Amino acid sequence: MTGIVREIVMLWEKHLLTMRTIEHLQMFSTALTISVIIGVSVGIFIYTRPRTASPVLNFLNILETIPDLALLVILLPLLRLGTGPTIAASVIYSILPIARNTYTGLKGVDDQYIYVAEAIGLSPRDILLKVRIPMSLPLIAGGIRIALVFIMGVVTLGGLVAAGGLGTVLQNGIQLYEKDVILLAGLWTGILAVILDLGAGRIEKKLYERYGTWQPHR
Amino acid sequence: MAATSVILDATWEHIVLVYTTLFVSILVAVPLAFASLYNRRLASVVMNFANLVQAVPSFAVIAIVVPFLGIGFVPALIAIMLRALLPIIKNTYIGLTSVDPALIDYANGIGLSEWQIQRYIRLPNAYPAMFAGIKFAAILANSIAVLTAFIGSGGLGEIIFQGLIGYNTGKLLSGAIPAIVLALLIDYSFTLLEKKLTPQYMKS
Amino acid sequence: MPTQRLFERIESIELQQISKKYGSRFAVESLDLSIEGGELLILIGPSGSGKTTTLRMINRMIEPDAGNILINGQNIIQLDPVSLRRNIGYVIQNIGLFPHMTIGENVGLVPKLEGWDEIRTTERVRHLLDFVSLPPDRFIKRYPRQLSGGQQQRVGLARALAMNPPLLLMDEPFGALDPILRKQLQKEFLEIKKEIGRTIVFITHDIEEAFRLGDRIAIMDNARLVQVGAPEDLIFEPVNDLVADIVDTDRKFKHMDTLNVKDLMTPLDAKYILDGSMDARNAVEIMKDRDTEIGIVFENGILIGKVEMVNLLKHEESHPFLRDIAKPMKVFAPRDSVATALSEMKKSGEYMAMVMNGDTVGGMLVSDEVLLKLI
Repeated sequence: MTGIVREIVMLWEKHLLTMRTIEHLQMFSTALTISVIIGVSVGIFIYTRPRTASPVLNFLNILETIPDLALLVILLPLLRLGTGPTIAASVIYSILPIARNTYTGLKGVDDQYIYVAEAIGLSPRDILLKVRIPMSLPLIAGGIRIALVFIMGVVTLGGLVAAGGLGTVLQNGIQLYEKDVILLAGLWTGILAVILDLGAGRIEKKLYERYGTWQPHR
Repeated sequence: MAATSVILDATWEHIVLVYTTLFVSILVAVPLAFASLYNRRLASVVMNFANLVQAVPSFAVIAIVVPFLGIGFVPALIAIMLRALLPIIKNTYIGLTSVDPALIDYANGIGLSEWQIQRYIRLPNAYPAMFAGIKFAAILANSIAVLTAFIGSGGLGEIIFQGLIGYNTGKLLSGAIPAIVLALLIDYSFTLLEKKLTPQYMKS
Repeated sequence: MPTQRLFERIESIELQQISKKYGSRFAVESLDLSIEGGELLILIGPSGSGKTTTLRMINRMIEPDAGNILINGQNIIQLDPVSLRRNIGYVIQNIGLFPHMTIGENVGLVPKLEGWDEIRTTERVRHLLDFVSLPPDRFIKRYPRQLSGGQQQRVGLARALAMNPPLLLMDEPFGALDPILRKQLQKEFLEIKKEIGRTIVFITHDIEEAFRLGDRIAIMDNARLVQVGAPEDLIFEPVNDLVADIVDTDRKFKHMDTLNVKDLMTPLDAKYILDGSMDARNAVEIMKDRDTEIGIVFENGILIGKVEMVNLLKHEESHPFLRDIAKPMKVFAPRDSVATALSEMKKSGEYMAMVMNGDTVGGMLVSDEVLLKLI
C-alpha cells in the first residue's frame, strides 16, 4: 500500500503536477472571471433590448456547436500558441450559458415584486439593481456552473497548444505511452473538475434556498 | 494546406467514427433508460454517474481510456461513448418519467398491458426529450472525435495534430474548418429532422 | 440620491373628471372625488368596479386617459413619478416583501436609496418595527419566508411608512387574512391611525371593515362613483338600491332578538388551542407555524383565557407560562341571547368570546362572523 502511495508521490513530483495544477487553475479562474463579466453583461444587455435577445442567443448557440479543439485551433493564427487562445476559446464557449441564464432570470422575476417596487418609488435602475439582479442570482449561478464545466474542458485542451496546465501532462503521457502517468493525471484532472462542479452545485443550492423557494403565505 | 483527397478521406473517417458511436450509444442508452424505470437503484446510479462524468473534461476521459484499452478506433469509440451516452440516457429517462401519472392510471384502467403502456404512451411522450438528447450527443461526439485523433482514431483531428507539430496554419485550418462545417450541418439537419418528427399535437 | 419632499401634509386631493379605458370598456368613468387632508377614505364596491384603478392613478402607477388629479392644488402630472411614489406609502394584499432581503432591508430599502446613512436607517427601521408590534431584535435579521402571513402584513405596513409619507394608499391590506387575524390587525391599525394622523385611501370589499375604519366611504360600481359620505349618510340617505344593499345593516339585526348564541357561534378550530403549561417562546413558534396571532389557553380541559401574539413577543424574554399571562375572556352559555352577548362584547371592546357549556367547549363567538352569518 505504502509502495503505491510512494510511487504516486514520485510520479506526481516527476511530472510537476503541483505546478501544472496551479497553471491549470490560473487559466481556469482567469477565463471564468472574464466569462462571468461578459456573460452577465450580455445577459443584461439583451434583457434591456429585447429585440436583440433572439439573434444574440441564436448566434451564441451556433458557437456552442463548434468542436472545442477546432475553435481553439482557428484562434491560433490570431493569438499564437499558449494561454491566450486557450482562455479566449474558454470564454467564447461559456458566454452562452451565463448570458442565457442571466436573461431568463431577469425576465422571470415575478411581476408582483416589480409592481411593488414601482409603487414604493424605485426607479427602473433601482429595480434592475436591487430587485431583478439579486432575485436572478440562483439562475445566474446555475449558468456559471455550466460555464465552469465548459472552461475546465477547454483549459485541459490547452496542453495541446503549449498553454501548460494538466493537459500538458496528459499530452506527454499519451505521446510517450506512459500508462501510469496517463492514469494519474487523467484521474486527477477528472477529480478536480468534479470537485469544482460539486462546490458550485452547493453554492447554487444555497442560493436557491435563500432566494428561490419563497412564497408569500407558505 | 493538406491535399483535398486527404481532407476528404479524413472527413469520411470522422463521419464514420461519429455516427458509429452515436448509433452504438443509442442502442445502449435507450434500453438502459427503460431498465432504470423498473429499478430505482439503477436509475439513481445512472443519473448520478451521468452528472459526475459530465463534469470531467473530454481530454481526461480520453486519457483514462488509454491505459485500459490502448489506442486506435475502438478505444476512441469507447471514450466518445462514455460522454455521448449520458445525455441520451438522461433525456430518455426524463421523457419516460414525465408522463402524467393519471394517464398511466387510465391506461391501466382500460386494460393496456405493461408493454403496450411503454410502447404507446411512455415512448411517444419521451420522443422530444430523447431527440434533444441525441442531437446534443451528436454534437458532442463530433467535438470529441476531433480530439480522439490524439489516440489514433484518425479523422479530421489528425490533420490538426499534424498542423500543430510543425505549426502549419494551412493544415490547422484544413482540419478545423471541415470539423466546424460538420458541426453546423449536424445542428442544422437535426433541427430540420426534429421539426419533421415532432407529432402535430406536440407542436406549439 | 434624495428625492424632493413634495408635501409635508395633505390639504386635499382632487380627482377631477377622471376616466380610464381598457379597450372599449371603461375601468373608471368621469369620476369626481375630493379627499380631505387627514381623513381615512374607504373605496368600496363590487370587484371590477374601478377601485384599484382609481387608487393606482393617485400614485401614477396608471395614467388616466382624461381628467386631472391635484394634490394640494398641484397637478400630479407635473411631478416625477418616482419622487411622487416616495412621498406616498403603499400597502397591498399580497404584500410583496422582497424575498432576498431581510425584514430590516425591506423596510429600510427606500431610506437607503434616499441616501440615509446606516445608523439613521437602522434607527428608523427599529422604530417602525416597534410601531407595528414586531420586536426589532427578533425580526430585523429575518427573511420574509420565516414570518407568518400576519407578521408579513405588519412588515408591509412598516415599509409603507418608512419615509413618513403624508399619504397612504392601501389596497385590501387585510383581505388575505383569516377573520380573527383580520379583526386583530384592524384593531391595531385603528390605534396606529390615531397616532399617525395622515391621509389614507383604503380599498376593501368588506362593509364591516369600512364602517370600522373609515371616516368617509366612497361606493363605486361599474366604473363610476355612486355615492360618497359618512357611514350614517349612506345608511340613512342611500342614493340608490345598490348603496342601500351594500350598507343595509337593518336586515342583519332583524332577527337578532330571537337568536341564541349557539345559533351563531363558530366551532373552535384546533389551531387556536394552546396548553397553559407551554412557555411563551414555544407558543410564539407554534402560532407562527399555524399562522394565527391569537391563542385560547386551556389547562387540564379548563379554559384559562386568551393570549395574543403581540403580547407574547413582549413577554418572551422572561419565559413565562401561558397560564400566568393569559387574559380572561368573556364566556357565554349556548342558550344566552346573541343580542345581549354582542352588546356586552361591544361594551368591553372585545371581538371574540368563548361559548362554554359547563366545562365543555361549545365554540367561539366572533362579532364579525356573527354579522356575516346574519346576512
